[in-house]
Amino acid sequence: MNKLRIIYNGLVTENPTFVLLLGMCPTLGTTGSAITGLSMGLATSGVLVCSNAAISAIKNMVPDKVRIPAYIVVIATFVTLLQMFMQAYLPSLNESLGIFIPLIVVNCILLGRAEAYASRHSVIDSVFDGIGIGCGFTVALTLLGSIRELLGTGTVFGARIFPETYGSLVFVLAPGAFIALGFLIAIINHVRNRNKS
Amino acid sequence: MAQLLTVSASPHIHTKRTVAGCMRHVTIALLPAAACALYFFGIGALIVIATSIAACAATEYIINRWMLRRPSTLADGSAILTGLLLAFNLPSNLPVWAVIIGSVVAIGIGKMAFGGLGCNIWNPALVGRVFLLISFPVQMTSWPLPLVNRSEYFDAVTGATTLGILKLGEADSASIDILASATGAIGGSLGEVSAIALLIGFIYLLCMKVITWHIPVSILGTVALFTLCIGGNLAVELLSGGLMLGACFMATDYVTSPMSKKGMLIFGVMIGLITVIIRRWGAYPEGVSFAILLMNGFVPLIDRYIKPRKFGERRSKS
Amino acid sequence: MKKLPSTLTYMTVSLGVITIVAGALLAWVHEITAAPIAEAAQRKQVEAIRAVLPEFDNDPTSQKVTWTPMAGSEPFMIFPAYKGNTFAGAAVEGYSLNGFSGEVRIMYGFNAAGDITGYEVLSHAETPGLGAKMNEWFRTDMGRRSVIGKNPARTSMYVTKDPGGEIDAITAATISSRAFLSTLRECYDAFVYYKTEKTVSNE
Repeated sequence: MNKLRIIYNGLVTENPTFVLLLGMCPTLGTTGSAITGLSMGLATSGVLVCSNAAISAIKNMVPDKVRIPAYIVVIATFVTLLQMFMQAYLPSLNESLGIFIPLIVVNCILLGRAEAYASRHSVIDSVFDGIGIGCGFTVALTLLGSIRELLGTGTVFGARIFPETYGSLVFVLAPGAFIALGFLIAIINHVRNRNKS
Repeated sequence: MAQLLTVSASPHIHTKRTVAGCMRHVTIALLPAAACALYFFGIGALIVIATSIAACAATEYIINRWMLRRPSTLADGSAILTGLLLAFNLPSNLPVWAVIIGSVVAIGIGKMAFGGLGCNIWNPALVGRVFLLISFPVQMTSWPLPLVNRSEYFDAVTGATTLGILKLGEADSASIDILASATGAIGGSLGEVSAIALLIGFIYLLCMKVITWHIPVSILGTVALFTLCIGGNLAVELLSGGLMLGACFMATDYVTSPMSKKGMLIFGVMIGLITVIIRRWGAYPEGVSFAILLMNGFVPLIDRYIKPRKFGERRSKS
Repeated sequence: MKKLPSTLTYMTVSLGVITIVAGALLAWVHEITAAPIAEAAQRKQVEAIRAVLPEFDNDPTSQKVTWTPMAGSEPFMIFPAYKGNTFAGAAVEGYSLNGFSGEVRIMYGFNAAGDITGYEVLSHAETPGLGAKMNEWFRTDMGRRSVIGKNPARTSMYVTKDPGGEIDAITAATISSRAFLSTLRECYDAFVYYKTEKTVSNE
């Protein structure tokens, strides 16, 4: 399969957030601003690429009956490594993402890709799948984060677009995440349907 | 449409009641409270009510016309009623832009996004109010004092609501003027202040058989009982805040309340319980709107478990 | 290579190898990052102290003193500052459990006279847009909001709603404001305790 196709698949056709609706917990929890959404997307993508590669490499050494615990150990290892590096070199980012970094372990995107893709494709293909899905997740989180930040505080990536007095707090809080995500998915489906017909 | 109707065996009983008729009755029932709001809050109340109704009607028209491309549903009066109820849930000095945002959210997200009247899960007016409350807490929780602000809109003198004062522990419940709470000379949202005016409207609705007693009575009864159990001040808890408005007019919305009598009682009791729990232990001083919205979400479940038996059907043994 | 069958031996060996490799990797990275992690935490504290205090030339973290507001509770931390050999003030890290949603942790800086030179909200869980504004509100020079430059010995550090209070509360967030000011009062007590009993000359 063409490598670009794999990436396109992750980014558009099987976009984890807008199409598969996977990994909703970090999607709703870390998109209060564009920058946290972007960093969460990148962190998850990094772990996803590594875990996809590692799982694809060991896929024949793991007997079927113990594959789930084996995958979880691999994913948890990469997440813990990421967290230690972030604590050491990016402490402020680590603090703003908080509990969501360790929670990458239980993000269904990772286990889902391990089970559905990496465990039956070559290492190279799995890496590209990780990049594609990771990009899809990052783009979705950044988009949602930007919209919520714009509506909630009037800024995007900290740059002011609406005047200071503006701010609809609900978009900074969790209910706004649901509303914004719902409308984003509605718009995306609308565009898809229009393209199809 | 006519040929699509499935006609069952006779007898057929026709009632002259229509959706528009019911909405008109509810609107009439709200008039005494609206009059009280105008008396106590003056020009501010007028601006908020007018803006809210106009914005709700406009939103519904625009969505029907350009987004759903179907005939206008304005004639059923539900948008106007939603606008009036939303205004009743807002402080009288809320800026016009905030009222418009609330109306757009109430009709757009609360009602039309689900498919219009009859399809919405949550009470549209409350969706609008809660959206505003979470979005603009500063504007939504500064309540103009009654009477002194009749000619002021922007520079109204504000104060806390009765429940707010209790929550902060700035006064004990014994010092609160019960008579003022009953007539409405207290700080609060437009339409929630006068318990007596709301009760008049409620009795009108009961007489016109637009609603039944089950939901309001079970809500008020539960709040009263629970308050007694935890040792609160009964009159203050019943008369202040949005309880009367919520119990008589918001919770009884046909679309978002259970169909069976038994279901209505469960619905009402749970709203009462959640309200007192939020008032007593929650972060917000008032919890009626949250309680009603929460229970709105449970209505399909309640309806499913308290299904009326078909004629001749036996109760299953299991 | 063919996939290994699910026999007990293979399963045990496979999981065993994976966990051992993972464990070794984690131990190795922990070894590398332990020092930078500790350093980052330390740097954060030092930066907060620098932000709230006027000039000093000692190392306040090494002269840390603790002060307990109530018996049995977690102590406040006092970081004394000296310039040359004279007492220049102290940064006090305190907390309140009475925030709108849980603990609020704030560091205040006092100069030698007890005037507030700055503060830094270290952690909180207050409502965004309301209580969360405390990191800006109480340093804004508008009305009676600011606490900077005021001395708790002369200014009544209560919100204006409370009897005798002289500080404006954050609009619609009185509870958060009360938590902020109560922490401030207790930190000032800690400062006074340090100033009267613990001041040392650095000779």
